[in-house]
Order: sequence, then C-alpha cells, then structure tokens
Amino acid sequence: MKAGRAASSGKAHATRHRPGRDRRPGPVVEPIGGGPAEVIGRIDLSVELAPGLRLDNPILVASGTFGYGIEYGDVVDVQRLGAICCKGTTLKPRIGNVTPRVTETPAGMLNSIGLQNPGVDAVIERYAPTWAGWQVPVIVNVAGESVEDYVEVARRLEGVPGVAGIELNISCPNVGKGGLQFAIDADAAGAVTAAVRRATDLPLLVKLSPNVADVRPIAKAIEKAGADAITAINTLSGIAVRPDRSRPLLGNIYGGLSGPAVKPVALRIVYEVAQVVDIPIVAIGGVSELADALDYFAVGACAVQVGTAVFADPTLPIRIIDGLEAECRRRGFDSFRPLIGTALPRKPGASSAKGVEYRP
Amino acid sequence: MRLVAAELVESREILPRQWLQSYHAPSLAIGSRAGQFVHVRPGDFSGLVLRRPFSFNTIDAATGVVTIHFRAIGRGTDWFAHLRTGDSVDMLGPLGRPFEVDPRSRRVLLIAGGLGIAGVRMLADEAIGDGRQVVLLFGAASAAEVYPSNLLPDEVEYIVATDDGSLGHRGYVTDLVTEYEGWADQAFACGPAPMLAALARLAAGRRERLGVAKLGRKGGGRTDAPGSAAARRKSFLQVSMEQNMGCAVGACLGCVVMGTSGQPQRVCREGPVFAADELDWEAGW
Repeated sequence: MKAGRAASSGKAHATRHRPGRDRRPGPVVEPIGGGPAEVIGRIDLSVELAPGLRLDNPILVASGTFGYGIEYGDVVDVQRLGAICCKGTTLKPRIGNVTPRVTETPAGMLNSIGLQNPGVDAVIERYAPTWAGWQVPVIVNVAGESVEDYVEVARRLEGVPGVAGIELNISCPNVGKGGLQFAIDADAAGAVTAAVRRATDLPLLVKLSPNVADVRPIAKAIEKAGADAITAINTLSGIAVRPDRSRPLLGNIYGGLSGPAVKPVALRIVYEVAQVVDIPIVAIGGVSELADALDYFAVGACAVQVGTAVFADPTLPIRIIDGLEAECRRRGFDSFRPLIGTALPRKPGASSAKGVEYRP
Repeated sequence: MRLVAAELVESREILPRQWLQSYHAPSLAIGSRAGQFVHVRPGDFSGLVLRRPFSFNTIDAATGVVTIHFRAIGRGTDWFAHLRTGDSVDMLGPLGRPFEVDPRSRRVLLIAGGLGIAGVRMLADEAIGDGRQVVLLFGAASAAEVYPSNLLPDEVEYIVATDDGSLGHRGYVTDLVTEYEGWADQAFACGPAPMLAALARLAAGRRERLGVAKLGRKGGGRTDAPGSAAARRKSFLQVSMEQNMGCAVGACLGCVVMGTSGQPQRVCREGPVFAADELDWEAGW
C-alpha cells in the first residue's frame, strides 16, 4: 500500500476515533477514578512518509538548522530523531550570501544564508559514509536553479548508501535565481517534481513556499506529479533594517522568517493542504514545544520538523518525542495516529470550498 | 561541547551599560581556553529565539567560576543584565577555537577596542600564567568607557587611547601599535571590524618594516595548513571575530567571514579566532 493512502486513512479514521473502542491498544490498566486507560506497552510513533521511508517517530530536524547531522556532536543523540533533513544541497558548490546572514526578530529570526554548500559530490563524499552507519534516516534537501540541476542532483544521490530520501527545496527565498520560481507556480512545481520523480526512486518530499496567494493548486500539482510527501512550509520572505536605519540589515536585504512568529501561517497552510491532497504532510514552522507538534497533527500533518528552536535548545526534538509518547500513553492511545486530523472539517472540502476569507 | 546549567553568582555594571557577570559552571571552567566562547540561552523563548554568544572573559578553575562581559544593547542582553544572583542560565560550550600562542613568544601584545576587551581579557591571564610579558593596548571613545585597570592582573602593562583624548593617547588604539610591534613576539586583537582590518594591514607590512626574522626553521621546514592550530601559532597577529550568530556549532552557516581562500569561514567553528592572514579584509563580509 502506498504510504499516502495509509496516512490519509489514518487521518479520516482519527476524527471518529474513540480510545479503547475501535482500536486494540496494548495492555491497559484501568485508571483510578475514571479517565482514559493508560497504555503500558510500547507506543507506536512510527510513520511511513513514502514506500521505503519509515521513521521510528514523527519528529524531524529541519534543513538548514542541523547541518549534516554531525555538528551538535554529543549534545544531541541523533539516532533518536525521526529523521534529519540536511542543509540544502546544490549541484555545484555555492559560497552563499554576503553577511550579515541572520538576525533575531520578534519571536523569530530572519536568515539569508544563500544555500552555501559544498555541492552534491562533496556532500556525498564527506557525509554519506557517516550517515550510512546511522539508524536515523537522512533526507537530503536539494536545491537548484533549473529543472536540470534538480534532476542531476537527484541522480547523483540515487543509490548512495546513507541517503534515505530527497526533500526538494523549490522554495528557498534567499537566492536570486533559486527555486522560489518553481514554488509559486503550479505548473512549474509539478514539472520539477515530475522530472525528479522520473529520475529517481528515492523517497521524494517537496517543500512548499508560503509566499504565494493560494498554496492548494501547487500542492495538488506536486501530488499529481508523483511526490511521496509534502513539507510545509519554508520561510516567509521578510526584511529587517539596521539599527541606524541606513539600509536593510541583511547583506542580501531579503531573508526568510522562521520561528514561533510563523506558526499561525504554517498551521493555516497545513490545514488547507491537508484538505486537498492525500499524501502525507510534514509540517514545519515555529515548533518549539510538544503542543505545537500536536497542533500540526490536529490540522492533518503526520510528522513535524523542528527548526529554529533547535538553536535555542538542541535537545528539544528528543524531548518532544518523549513528550509525544507520554501524551499518547496518558490518553490511552497505542499510537499517535488518533491525534492526526482532529481539527480538520468533518466533511472533507467543506472549508476549502469557501476559500480563505482573511487573505488580503 | 556541553549543555550546562550555570548559576549567576555575581553581576556588576562595571561601565555604563556594561556588565561583568560571574557564573558557577565548573564543567566549563576546566578545559576551556582563551578565545573560546559560550552560547547562552535567554529564558524567554517566546520572544527571544536565539542564544547569545559571549567570550570567556575570565575562568577560575579552582572555584569553577566563569565570567562574561557584555554591553546591554537590546532585548537579549537586557534580559541577561536583569538576572539576579542565584538565577540559572543554560550555557552551550566551550565553543570555537582558542588563541594559539607560540611557546617561544616571550612578549605578547593584546589590542582591544571597546567591548573587544571581552575577547582578549582571558588571554592576559593565560599569558602571565605562562610567564610571558603582556602589554594591553585599549581603545575607547572616551574616558568613561575605559576598562577599569583594577580588573586586570598587576603584571599587565596597560596603555589607553581615547578618541577624544580624555584619557591616555588622543586617537585610535591602532596608532599605538607601531610603537610595540617591534617589541612584541605576537599580537592578539578583538574589537570593531575596521580596527581589526587596520591591524591586519599593519601586521602584513610588519616584517618588511622591521626586517625581523620569521619564527621557525630557516629555509622552510614543513608548511602548516592554513587555519590549522600550528599555522596560527606561527602567525604574528590573531584576531577574534564577531558576527551575527545562529546555532554556534557550525550547522546554520549564519556567522561566516570571508577567507583568503575564497571560502566563507564559520566564526563559530573555524573561529572565532583567526590568523589575520586567513581572512579577506577587503571582501566586505
């Protein structure tokens, strides 16, 4: 069975789910004084994002915030993560944008790294051997300036031990000729997805940009083109100004906004996309505690990525995994699937038919 | 690199809006070196999403106390300034690479511009502990901003320049360097980027001006890879760089400066200390 079907059936199921009745959880202990029975056995946190890409848990670390998985060293037990999305990788090396590249903003940060990376061949040579020795899947985030770029990078990653999948970054807002052009047009997004799909059998995620008027046709085009899953969202385009007001602060002027500030936008997009596609959605945007992950599950995501919050607390992803397990146990679930889609409209399509009222 | 809960034991405003804070963090007090830094988390993640990097200002291994010195210039540093004794903060460290002093250097010149003193202060302790002579050249806008001499070891010869002439030499601290470049075996600097760029230009021309012999074996020996600790040990001038920082462990590539190799160098990982000739001072990064 295709992963997307599994996830969507779980989603539909979840809205009608009653703990302990229509499922068969592990051994339970009758609670004292009522409430749901607490599950004693192992909680199933696994999620299949694509055929051949099964994660032990639904908590990933986001591209660009976790390097190549090795930088945090002993501070983080990477093997416990659901998956690692590595830094955006291009065909040729890129030196990236002029500095300053990052700045803090209210409840968030702007970054404009400009896809600095050593190129796909160097990434494979330097890091894939390490990844191959890990249990945690590493998903290589792929960026490019043309369809040919994306296809060629995907070809080179195909069959490399240690590469568990590809996340297409068609939405980086920080490079002049970069992928954003693919993310703002349904035909272009579908075309690049289809071309990469033809070029590789690797599990294929495609990352959406929030910098569009309506994300739903783009998500549908990506699904139709054969993506296994959708990641939503990339950063929002923004700027900051120098303290002396002499010019914009970032060297590249434009940066991508991330952190808790973007969460309502990301939630809205996941909510909309979940109602128009059947493939799994990996949510990303301002996750900084368990409650944020639960919110994303509620609007239809079946996994979440932690990004900016890792900078403040590198141990956060692991604590969210532990917290998620405890939450399931407390509520009497033997898996986290009943948490998915609980806030979606009962009748699929009801809300999307009305459109989005508050968009300017 | 460790995540450590550090308890504030003392906080003093040593200059207008500049704080010197002592934290009890025994596991950081052992094995950390001058030039390295800690990345400290402000408590309020809902508003302040990034940690703040601070150089080790001093370390007392016996008591397990590390100090940081900072200026309150925004919401993050204000948050730290308002901490009270007994409060605990989350420190990630030690991070970055330290100053590399050549074992043969007897005379060490430290050059600090303003808050840059926080980057080189600990090296004074290390150098004196190793029996070296230390001259500290310090530059500030005016007398009110001059680092208090009672916070320095007695052995340090302390020379001050102020822009307005209200204390010491009238002018830039870089004006004083030519007087000492012949005396010094090595120099270590931290401060505003224009100051460091000026020092790098001075250092590049020093050998020709003085006609001094290069440290190391005559006629070559092996050449150390640029950026290696061994290569840095042989350089006359090392600088501690500052840059807006995200992760501080080398993952996000936010804090780069341009290297002479044409490759961006991460301040948090390849730095914050660099040999002056590793960096491209004209690149405008």
